[in-house]
Amino acid sequence: MLTVPVEIFRFKPGQAQRYDTFTVEIAETAHVIDVIDTVWAKHDPTLTFRRACHHSSCGSCAVRINGAEKLPCIVRLTDVWNGRNPIRIEPLRNFPVVSDLLVEVGDFFERMSAASMTITCEAEGFLPLTVDTFAVAGVLPKTVELPDNLSRFNRFEQCIECGICMSACPTMATDNKFIGPAGLAAIYQARHKTDDPTRVKHLLGLADGEHGVWRCHSAFECTEACPQAVDPASKIMALRRELALRRLRKMFGLRI
Amino acid sequence: MSTLNYSKTRQAARWFDVRRRKAGMWAYALNRITGIGLVVYLYLHLGVLSMLIQGQSAWDAFVGLARSPFYLALDVILLAGILIHGLNGLRLAVTGFGFSAGAQKALFTILMISGGIILIAAALKIFQI
Amino acid sequence: MIERGEVAFGTTGRNHCLLHSGGRYCVTDQESAIECIDENLILRRIMPDLLELNDGLFVAVTESDLAFKERFLEGCAACHIPAHEVTVARALAMEPFLNPTILAAIQIPDGVFEPFRFCLSFLATALKNGATVRTFTEVTDFVCSDRNPTGVKIRDFRTGKTETIGGDIIVNAAGPWAGEIAAKAGVSVPEVPTAGVMVALDCRLNNMVLNRLNKPSDGDIVVPQRATSVIGTTSWKVEDPDLITIPPEHVERMISQGEKLIPTVRRVPMRAKMAVARPLIAMTGTDARELSRTFECFDHARDGVNGFVTITGGKTTTARAMAERVSDIVCQKLNHKAECRTREVPLTSYRFFFERQNVLKRRALAQLQTSDRPNIGFEERT
Ligand SMILES: Cc1cc2nc3c(=O)[nH]c(=O)nc-3n(C[C@H](O)[C@H](O)[C@H](O)COP(=O)(O)OP(=O)(O)OC[C@H]3O[C@@H](n4cnc5c(N)ncnc54)[C@H](O)[C@@H]3O)c2cc1C
Ligand code: SF4
Ligand code: FES
Repeated sequence: MLTVPVEIFRFKPGQAQRYDTFTVEIAETAHVIDVIDTVWAKHDPTLTFRRACHHSSCGSCAVRINGAEKLPCIVRLTDVWNGRNPIRIEPLRNFPVVSDLLVEVGDFFERMSAASMTITCEAEGFLPLTVDTFAVAGVLPKTVELPDNLSRFNRFEQCIECGICMSACPTMATDNKFIGPAGLAAIYQARHKTDDPTRVKHLLGLADGEHGVWRCHSAFECTEACPQAVDPASKIMALRRELALRRLRKMFGLRI
Repeated sequence: MSTLNYSKTRQAARWFDVRRRKAGMWAYALNRITGIGLVVYLYLHLGVLSMLIQGQSAWDAFVGLARSPFYLALDVILLAGILIHGLNGLRLAVTGFGFSAGAQKALFTILMISGGIILIAAALKIFQI
Repeated sequence: MIERGEVAFGTTGRNHCLLHSGGRYCVTDQESAIECIDENLILRRIMPDLLELNDGLFVAVTESDLAFKERFLEGCAACHIPAHEVTVARALAMEPFLNPTILAAIQIPDGVFEPFRFCLSFLATALKNGATVRTFTEVTDFVCSDRNPTGVKIRDFRTGKTETIGGDIIVNAAGPWAGEIAAKAGVSVPEVPTAGVMVALDCRLNNMVLNRLNKPSDGDIVVPQRATSVIGTTSWKVEDPDLITIPPEHVERMISQGEKLIPTVRRVPMRAKMAVARPLIAMTGTDARELSRTFECFDHARDGVNGFVTITGGKTTTARAMAERVSDIVCQKLNHKAECRTREVPLTSYRFFFERQNVLKRRALAQLQTSDRPNIGFEERT
């Protein structure tokens, strides 16, 4: 058992913001979400925070731990606690704070809808979560060759709509209409799921808009912070390449 | 329900907030700082050039001043800004069109190291004059 | 709908995400098994975009598993669960990480859902049809006239405000907390919160849901989801479902049992571990595993309390059926004639749950007149 101090951001409408410090008794093997749960269950039931799945699938629990955006359900306590200073837990940035760790996600989900994010996709063999996971485990990712009479397997998209990339993005801080890393990555995915020229035109048009890919100023923080290896930055750049090539071709009168 | 929102200035300050961030964010912040610095320099430069209108003597006096070690040091800082901004601009032009976006960190390191070497060489040269 | 946390804050959010085909219960608990397969087919129709539909395999690892095969196939047939045996070679072709020494494999129509979005899309549909959903709001007490509840006292954690709201009928659907809520209304519900541990791995090792071909036991199932594989579960009775301490030996048991299905399991780092309590209905059986997984609706008129109904037990897979049962009872009590249509109506996008606030805001600003389709106003360059 460990005795861990945590400092949690508190805010209620009409009141000043502050940090509350709690000291929780918790197992060494605990994750940060267990710390938040313990604070809520044992110390202060009025603490508002989100969580559901506890295994990085719902995307609701995202917060900042010691300043960096993380999913507390997959961050081990011992990885963020130095044994002395309190662990600081704050809500995501670039989202309006409703109360405590709870942020307003309506705008974010509107972006994801506008970007035509669908949650299922066709499986691409076995996708390792972190690039070197398979290396750590000493196994090679195997792609499944399926017999013809079996349909392809499907998967949920890697993106869990946690909003971490939106919080990590410095450009997002000053353009609240920026579609944002997750939205642009979703446009990229949607664009690669379709061949229909009108759909493609619509999706690329969205990416090309005033608050689309050209707003990105390459801090690459989305890719660094994304817990699901979505790599939004590369997807934004790939969209830009496609858009630029299309424009070039158009300039020289070539058919798109 | 009333929510907590931060002021525009506080949000804009995030451009320079590199705490707990990675190389990409350092590049981003440096690019912004050097960018602003270079714009300021451009206006100073235009101001200095306008001294030419005031005739030969005013200009000669300024050139004398510009040879002082203090001014030479400023020149080195200026060059550092140009190198950071310019070389990083190359990186952004390459990655920004979808080439080697995955290698952005390595590119940043390589370019900044070469920038550093150029800067040292140039500084030696400047102070030799 | 009053919920003290975010949507799916309770058991549903943290479960194993298996869209049951009923295979797990077709021998031991056929009533649940039939409920599961029926609902499985309905959910495929009403939320097709929210499911990973890759089927499941029941594999025999030991001789005793193999001996179970006939009973399993008979059970499936009795519960109209489409099951067919596949050759070991084919099973291994589909599942390259599966234990190569398996003796038999049976394919059944299991699936995987995503609990948070599962709940959100039901609630989004309810919102669209006029429901009010209040999250981060706790029921603190009941208001009663004689012994009959006529309303509840609630506290909104976001604002700290308390209020009283009235209701003709109050439905208690608090899962493992149903007993606690019922006690506030002065009645008791025979419920046993029974916890289970799950372990999520740092990469996905299977395409299909993998089960041991045997009676349900600890760590006998590996459910793949998104980019992870989740091994589960165990079963023990708990007092307080709010905070369950995970016994370390349970985690080890998950790994050692999971290893029998997928030998690579031990070499893969653990991504997360979690525990949560099932709302099981206490029956004569004493062992936690033996408790039935079916659901039950209690009309507390039988305890002399009117206007209060508890729905509990069941599975996430059967959530819709539970809602259907309880709404039928509510309609009957209110003398209201209406057909439950949730079997047919495709659900609204889960995002609508969060977007609705914005839609309402904008509608208030008279910027959005007719369409419910949100549009944040991203221009499209042509
Ligand atoms: C380990 C485990 C694995 C499982 N795996 C599966 C599976 O793979 N597939 C499957 O179909 N099923 C599975 N189940 C079963 C399933 O998860 C549960 O039966 C189901 O989620 C119960 O849902 P519920 O709505 O009744 O309870 P809950 O989801 O717990 O809902 C009750 C809600 O009431 C709220 N509440 C409590 N008190 C108050 C109050 N005072 N005021 C306001 N709100 C309050 C809680 O916050 C909670 O959100 C599993 C269960 C466990 C334990
Ligand atoms: S792209 Fe990554 S960080 Fe952004 S919302 Fe999706 S999962 Fe979260
Ligand atoms: S609780 Fe679901 S992602 Fe963390």
